[in-house]
Amino acid sequence: MHENRSTPARVWLFAALALAAAVIVIIGPALFDRFTLNVLTRSMIYAMLAVTVDILWGYTGILTFGQAAFFGTGAYASAMVLSHLGASPALMVLALALAIIVPVLLGAFVGWLSFGHGSTPLYATVISLVVPIVVTQLVFSGGVWTGSSSGLVGYSGLPLGLPGYFRLTGICLIVTAVVALVFTRSDAGKLLVAIRDNEARCAYLGLDPQRLKIVLTTILAGVAGIAGFLYANASGVVAPENTGFVFGTEIVIWTALGGRGTIIGPVIGAIGIDYLSAQLSGDLPFLWNLVVGALFVVMIILLPNGLAQLARMVLPRGNEQASPSGSPTLAAEPAGSGSEAGNRVLAVGGLGKSFGSLQVLQGIDLDVHPGELVSLVGPNGAGKTTLMRCLSDGTEATTGTVTIAGQDISGMTPDEIVALGVGRKFQVASVFDSLTVADCLRMARASRNAPSLLRRSATLGLPAAAADILRSTGLDRMLGRPVSLLSHGQKQSLELAMVVALEPKLILLDEPTAGLTKVERTTIGATLQKLTGELGFAAILVEHDLDFVRDISTRIVVLHQGKLVLDGSVDQVVNSEVVRTIYSGGAHA
Amino acid sequence: MTLLLDMVTTAAILFIVAAGLLAIFGVLKIINFAHGAWLTIGAYCAVATAGLGLNPWLALPIAFAVGAILGGITELVIVRPLYRRPLDAILATWGLGIVIGQLITLWFGRDVQFTPNLLSGTVDVFGVGYSLYRLFAVAAALVIGLAFTFLLEGTRLGLSAQAVIMNEMLARALGIDTARVRLATFMVGTGLAALAGVLLTPLTSVDPNMGVAWLIGSFMLVMVAGSSFSTLAIACLVFGGAQVLVSTFVSPIFGGITVAVLCALVLRISPKGFARA
Amino acid sequence: MLEARQAEAKTIAPKLSLSNVSSGYGPVAIIEALSLAIAPGQIFALMGKNGMGKTTVLKTILGFVALRSGDIRLDGASMSGVSQASLIASGVGYAPQEQALFQDLSVRDNLRLALRSDRGFAQAVERVYGHFPFLRERLSQRAGTLSGGEQKMLILGRALMLRPKLLLIDEISEGLQPSVVERIAAALREERRTNGTTILIVEQNLPFALGIADSWAVLKLGRIDDAGDVTAGTAARVLQHLKI
Repeated sequence: MHENRSTPARVWLFAALALAAAVIVIIGPALFDRFTLNVLTRSMIYAMLAVTVDILWGYTGILTFGQAAFFGTGAYASAMVLSHLGASPALMVLALALAIIVPVLLGAFVGWLSFGHGSTPLYATVISLVVPIVVTQLVFSGGVWTGSSSGLVGYSGLPLGLPGYFRLTGICLIVTAVVALVFTRSDAGKLLVAIRDNEARCAYLGLDPQRLKIVLTTILAGVAGIAGFLYANASGVVAPENTGFVFGTEIVIWTALGGRGTIIGPVIGAIGIDYLSAQLSGDLPFLWNLVVGALFVVMIILLPNGLAQLARMVLPRGNEQASPSGSPTLAAEPAGSGSEAGNRVLAVGGLGKSFGSLQVLQGIDLDVHPGELVSLVGPNGAGKTTLMRCLSDGTEATTGTVTIAGQDISGMTPDEIVALGVGRKFQVASVFDSLTVADCLRMARASRNAPSLLRRSATLGLPAAAADILRSTGLDRMLGRPVSLLSHGQKQSLELAMVVALEPKLILLDEPTAGLTKVERTTIGATLQKLTGELGFAAILVEHDLDFVRDISTRIVVLHQGKLVLDGSVDQVVNSEVVRTIYSGGAHA
Repeated sequence: MTLLLDMVTTAAILFIVAAGLLAIFGVLKIINFAHGAWLTIGAYCAVATAGLGLNPWLALPIAFAVGAILGGITELVIVRPLYRRPLDAILATWGLGIVIGQLITLWFGRDVQFTPNLLSGTVDVFGVGYSLYRLFAVAAALVIGLAFTFLLEGTRLGLSAQAVIMNEMLARALGIDTARVRLATFMVGTGLAALAGVLLTPLTSVDPNMGVAWLIGSFMLVMVAGSSFSTLAIACLVFGGAQVLVSTFVSPIFGGITVAVLCALVLRISPKGFARA
Repeated sequence: MLEARQAEAKTIAPKLSLSNVSSGYGPVAIIEALSLAIAPGQIFALMGKNGMGKTTVLKTILGFVALRSGDIRLDGASMSGVSQASLIASGVGYAPQEQALFQDLSVRDNLRLALRSDRGFAQAVERVYGHFPFLRERLSQRAGTLSGGEQKMLILGRALMLRPKLLLIDEISEGLQPSVVERIAAALREERRTNGTTILIVEQNLPFALGIADSWAVLKLGRIDDAGDVTAGTAARVLQHLKI
């Protein structure tokens, strides 16, 4: 899925589409018969739900069946007020308020339950199955309050009439879809895609993806609640099926068939399928569901991005390759205060890590000062990557202390450690494949400059050191290019620029040159030397290529079988007997 | 006394129903959301067997064979392209479940079907009359559990499946045809699911959507159990027992969600469920 | 000398040949334009520092790492598109370096998994006992509870179960005591003598590698940096490449 920048032409196109939709909504009651109006009103409410599912699943990667529960909660909250208390204007406001508040509270709770530190995507899906089931059972056990299995019926709703409801839901749908479109195309909206692509990278950019997902779940629960309020009013009946997980799967099916990650696709999918169902299911009830089910299976296997993907294949768009005019321009950000030389950036004392009975690291002591480029070398399995992990995630180490900029990091999560001034570059370039170069870099700045919820910025503010990396690698001319089109070396450079854009005091690099060409290695080496030597960053580098290490390091640390066996200048280490025996094989340290 | 028997027999029934799902999830790390449909297929095999005037017990091997063959086709056509997209596999199998449900409806109609009882009557257990069939379910659960343990630990297929679970790369490096192991596992799992469908017929009404009601409970139990049949047995005893207690002392409606809610909480506290890390 | 060796290998039809092979993970090339030929019955040592692509060469031969260009031939037949299962069945044995045992399975089950059926197990395992008699007493023990050296011998023993004609061995001597390394070397020599096995070892342990190999090559950044037949001067020459 390519996210293209919204050129003015596309903005106009969307505006025209929204306007056309609004016109249809306004004049619709004059065009359609009662049956059609009724069905389309319902379909449009469902389409609002499909939009929320699309934001959660299509953009953020959270497969959820739970929107049905929030929808049902909203619908029942409204219907219960209207049935048991009445439908005066004040009570109508109360009904609407409760239809939002109750799902929002439930959504916050579900979000908290689903997205703990280290919870898996599958777990969120599991919870999203359980919630509708629980809500449905609560409805069943609610007696006269909820009408149990027969639901609530016969209450009076908004005095709008069929055309009024049609227009109201139509406008609500258009507003929802437009807001969703604007948001998902804004700078902040790219965060969702970033979370879907690479949650670990988000955390290591100092963002808190779990919290963002909780917020998103909460807000979208409220939107589903509004849809529930509309439904309760427009249909005049609420039933337990409206809250159930089977309904939740239907919303996902509409979203999938329409095309996830497009907003408009799921809207069309929901309206189209629900409308056709109503038209056809009278004549061929089972056959129709059979066709939808079979189509869904085929789509998931062959066209995971739905009909929108098909449309994109049939109608190739001219602007796949983003034009330079669409790329943001670089802007300088004032550099933050560098750390003073002399103070330790990192102090490690007696660090140990074990997996069960297996001791991977033991008794590691290490200090790093600003301006140092410390290389960590050692044979396979010496514990180098494990040590890096212990430095960037406070929950990793088993014994000992790690102090960064004077603060003990034990128990801290990666995003909290990033805030202390640690940037981590992974071995395999960890970037966001669905975003452009500029968007990736913006994510790196997102913890400092909150991105806009509405707009795409025309400029990209970066600290000078990060901008230098872009210039020296030519990435500054590719800001609008999707990351998926970059070469391996360019991705490595981009990730380094992202890490530097965090303005860290300490950069951790895990084999930044693996798989790079000679020229690319030299560029990265020169960049690292400049960052440390001239700009006062500290860096720890894990590297297999010892020639590279010898050329650029200020200090070398040798790890062997989980222990630190040597810590000295380049000359000391290169000429040491210990290193020679370790590397010529066989010997025990 | 009846309460205790209810707890054990409920656990046994849950175990029978979840076993096929666990077999597939344990080896393939794929959640077969069409599991409910296979339960339904099994139940309709019982209906068809009775319709042909055959001995009702014959439905068990027939259902296993039908379930396994359909499962084999499903693995080849639908599941195989999705091993790297597990969330999509959930969706595709759910869609398949819809298709199967509609096909059954087209064939048999949407009405509730009745099947001859496999076993009827009650027996005295410590002076209490208790449904013979529910007691039989305990025996059936034990047989399935033991048969599966034997299959996993006593046969070549089981050894290969264990190798694939533990380290698929190494299994391939030793020349094990992992694609065949997966196919066989999926067939065993779906065969078991259909078999469970037959065993359910005396306990529940048979209709095209009967499987869905059992799907979520089984799914949650499997999530908690991980890939081991012994932990599944424990999970069934604990949560099935809790379900009976809640149904009896609180409300039958809440009993219906006990398993799902408790499993979700257990998974929140310990993401690996009952499986030892 | 390299040309001479390769020309010779060509005239007697190499057991295994790689010509101009490039491979890697996704967009990343690890091996580039690598060519080598190993004659039947030869022991070939592929050396180099960590991270230079040695293991990737073996994984490319076995089809675990995608071939990007070039050609790999076994007994003259191209290996592209051949599944691991049929490769192993056609007489290739592999002793991987990392996660090479099913730690929670017994020694017996680890050995059984080398065969496709239990028929012939008794006979095959007898051959392995010939090299490593201690395994006979340890059949029911969990593989994970063996010592490091015993595990390495089990890994090699398992690769020998099918009496392979080509054996690919990844850093079998790593972290082992000299006495164990000697037993492994003896087993490999014996296997070649009795079975004519062609052996490709990936190694960092010079004394072991040069002690059994006929030919050698040093890999650097995915390319062959230097190569030749094993002679008296080889050790010093290879050490130049391996030192820091």
